[in-house]
Formats: sequence, C-alpha cells, structure tokens
Amino acid sequence: MGVVTEILMLGLATAVINNLVLAYFVGICPFLGVSRRIDTAFGMGCAVVFVTTLSGVVTWAISHFALIEGAPLVNWINSLAGASPDKPVVADLLFLQYILFIFVIAGMVQLVEMYMRKFAHALYKALGVYLPLITTNCAILFVCLIIAKRPAIGDSFLRSLVYSFFGGVGFTLAIVLMAGIREELDAADIPEPLKGPGITLITAGIMALAFMGFKGMAG
Amino acid sequence: MLLTIGLAILVMLALGVCFAMLLGWANVAWKVDVPLQLRQLTDAMPGANCGGCGYIGCAEYAEAVFRGEAPPDKCPVGGAAVARHVAEIMGIDLQETLPYRPVVHCGADYDCRLKRAEYTGERTCGAANLVAGVQGCTYGCLGFGDCEWACQFDAVKMVNGLAVIDYDKCTGCGACAKACPRHIISMVPFKAERIVVVACSSKDPGKVVRSVCTVGCIGCGICQKLNELFTVTDNLASINYDHYDAQADFAPVLAKCPRQTLIYVGKPSAKDLAAVAGEELPERVEADFKTTVDDADYRG
Repeated sequence: MGVVTEILMLGLATAVINNLVLAYFVGICPFLGVSRRIDTAFGMGCAVVFVTTLSGVVTWAISHFALIEGAPLVNWINSLAGASPDKPVVADLLFLQYILFIFVIAGMVQLVEMYMRKFAHALYKALGVYLPLITTNCAILFVCLIIAKRPAIGDSFLRSLVYSFFGGVGFTLAIVLMAGIREELDAADIPEPLKGPGITLITAGIMALAFMGFKGMAG
Repeated sequence: MLLTIGLAILVMLALGVCFAMLLGWANVAWKVDVPLQLRQLTDAMPGANCGGCGYIGCAEYAEAVFRGEAPPDKCPVGGAAVARHVAEIMGIDLQETLPYRPVVHCGADYDCRLKRAEYTGERTCGAANLVAGVQGCTYGCLGFGDCEWACQFDAVKMVNGLAVIDYDKCTGCGACAKACPRHIISMVPFKAERIVVVACSSKDPGKVVRSVCTVGCIGCGICQKLNELFTVTDNLASINYDHYDAQADFAPVLAKCPRQTLIYVGKPSAKDLAAVAGEELPERVEADFKTTVDDADYRG
C-alpha cells in the first residue's frame, strides 16, 4: 500500500467510520452546544481541527521523547541514578500521561493564541472565542490518548498527524451536519415535549445510527 | 514509590517552569498594543461570553464599543451598572432608555359597550374577531383575553370584559400587543409612572361611536384645541409622546373631554392619588342604546 493510499484510508476511517462524536461519543458538549447555526458550527469545527492537529503532534513528541519506555528522558533518569539497563529505576513515565497532556494542550493553545493575535489577526478573529473554549475539550484529549495508546497509529509520526487532523475533520463534519439539521428543525412541527434538547438528542442518536452504516468499510 | 512521586513532581515542575518561561517570553515578544481604553472596556465586561449582545463573546463586544459601532448598553448580563461603566470609559453620555409599556387603547368594559349579538363560538379574541357583529364597536376590546394568555408575567387581567394592565408586574415584553387581533394594545414610552393615554381605537365617525359605546372617542377635537400635544385624525385623538411632558398639567384637557376617553394609566403615585382624593369625579354618561342580549351568558 502506497503512502498516499495509506493516508487516505486512515483519514477516511478516522473522519467517517470512527467519527469522534458519532462513534466514540466524545466532544458531545460543543456538538450540542454550538450546533445552532452552520457558520458558528463551522468556526468551532475549524478551531477543533487546528487544536487537535497541533496537540496531537506535540503530545506525540512528548510521549516519544519523555514518557515511553526507552525515551531519552527515561534513559537519562536511569543513567543519572546509575541503574543497570536490565534493572531500571523507572521503566516509563506513562502514568504522567493524562495530566501532562491536559497541561500541554492548554499551554500550547495559549501560545498559539498569542502568536495568532500578533501575526494572523484574521484567523484569530475567525476562530474567536472558540479557540480558548476548546482547550479542555475531551475530544482533543481523546485524540492525544488514542495516539499514545495505539501502537498502530502512535508508532509513526505521519500516521499520528493524519489521525489527529482527520479526527478534527470528523468532528467538523458531524457538527456542521447537526447544525444544518437543527436549522431545518426550527421550522419543523415538533411535538411540544420534545422541543429543544429532546429532539436534538434524538437527532444525534439517529445520526450516530446512520454513521454505524460505515462500520466495516475500512480501517 | 517515593521515587515515583518525586519524579512526577520534578517532571511536572520542570515542564511548568518551561511553559511559564515560554508563555512569558511569548507575551512580551508578541505583544499586541492594546489601547488603554479597550483594555478597560474588556475588563469592564462580565466575561460570561453569552452572546446576548449579538457579538461573539465579551471581547468582541468591547471592541465594537471601542470602534464606536455598538452602543454601551447592549450587555444583558451586566445590565445598567456595566452600561454606565462602559459609557464612563468611552466618555459618552448614556441615553436614558425609556421603558416601553403596553397601553390598551380601549376603555369600554361590558357596561359601556353595545353587545350586538350572542357569540357562542371559540372563546378567543382571534376567533371572535372573525365574526362580524359580535359587538357594536369593530375596534374595541373583545374581552376574551388573548392578551391575558399571552402574558407570561400575569400582568394582564380581564376586568369586566376589558383588558387591564398591571404595571407593577409588567416587564414591557410586548407579547400582549402582538397577541391582540384588533391591535388595540400599543407599546408606549413611559416617561413617568403615570401617563395620559387615549383609551379608544375607534376611527368611526362620532355618531357611530355614540351608538355603540359610552366612552369612545368621537373626534370632537376639543383636546386638540386645548393642548397642542393632541391631534385628531380619522375621528380619533392621538398623543404625540415624543414631546410628552410628564410634569405638564393635563387636568383641563381631561376634564373637557366629553367622553372621558383620555385617561391616566400606569402606577398611581402617592402624590397623584392624594391630588384626586378630594375631587369629585364626573359621572359617566348613561348608555343611550338598546341591547337585546343583556342576559346572555356569552357576551362580546
């Protein structure tokens, strides 16, 4: 399988078949909260694509240089403690994964926000309030943890990059579809008790069912 | 165990210091010059990012105010306090926004108006309004209380077939004005707690009004002659609220109105009540029409 085919397959599998929102049910709060209008939903989706890609890459680097078994930092600690290679002081630092990832994502987003404010003001305005809002979004952390925990993805930098980018694309796809449906729902004749959150959750459930139809296609 | 905890603390500490230095450096190196005024405005916002002002987030609204594109009183969370603060920072005068309150432009309850036929249909104004001849007046209050239903604040009551607004409960949302199928409720800027209103909507000639109602405006034009605030068009008096002066003495006009169509509505202040306490109010004009359905259960 060529590299391009591999990327396309992984991208399709991530964005459509294993859609973050509709197959794994992460990132539900922005999915329900910011899906009232298509343009704001798209803005949110773009911000998520941006942040997942960035944090996927950064946390991959941190995993490989500091946390996993045989990483430079772990080796350095062991050699500092004078331990023999077959009986190390610490095997890995993976127990720090969660707190470190949250920390790094939040810090990176802050940094990127400052950078954009100075050098890419148009993009800063376009992403607006959504960028800081999604720093603690569970979908972002989910992508980082999947990359760290699945060797099939996490062992290759390219696959990690593709996975995190298309994870964000899948989120954008789901939230924009949802926003389109909800805009139509405004004009629909909905039974009184189902109005508002009720019909939205039912719609989300039916969308998830529909996306299950992709299961088994690839990936 | 101890080693693990120590390591965790050390690693997190090292990373924390690294990020702090990185962000600190970025903050200085990529500093964006924000005008002092804009910074103050951003600080003045409540920071709820609710979007109630119509902008995405508080920062966006602060910027719009800074550019002079948005008025200072748009923030629904901060309310009057934030509006004052924002206006102060921008050095602009905050225009006192007048509360708009609904006024029922009809003063005729069941006893004052002619019932022309018995109405046994759907008991809503919207339905009754479709049927010709439910009541004599084709402009006035039907008395089925569509406005009462529309009000979420329990501020509209039907009193003897006439909608009466409770201005203590009213929030000025305008739902009643939208609900009235005859459009006799209008939103009026209340420049005082009590203001003079024309309690009639009839554009019929005086003779027709007289034959169906004891309190309807007949378009005689006396108010117009006495006070320039009043104008009579299409046989109906109206008040120019743009030039309305709450302190002005309307007593002569109100006394001269032959139909008592001009009335005060709003919250009665203690002073107002004291002023009218000793006075003898003129008696109402007796009905000069005959009706055949006085005893009917359903009345228009």
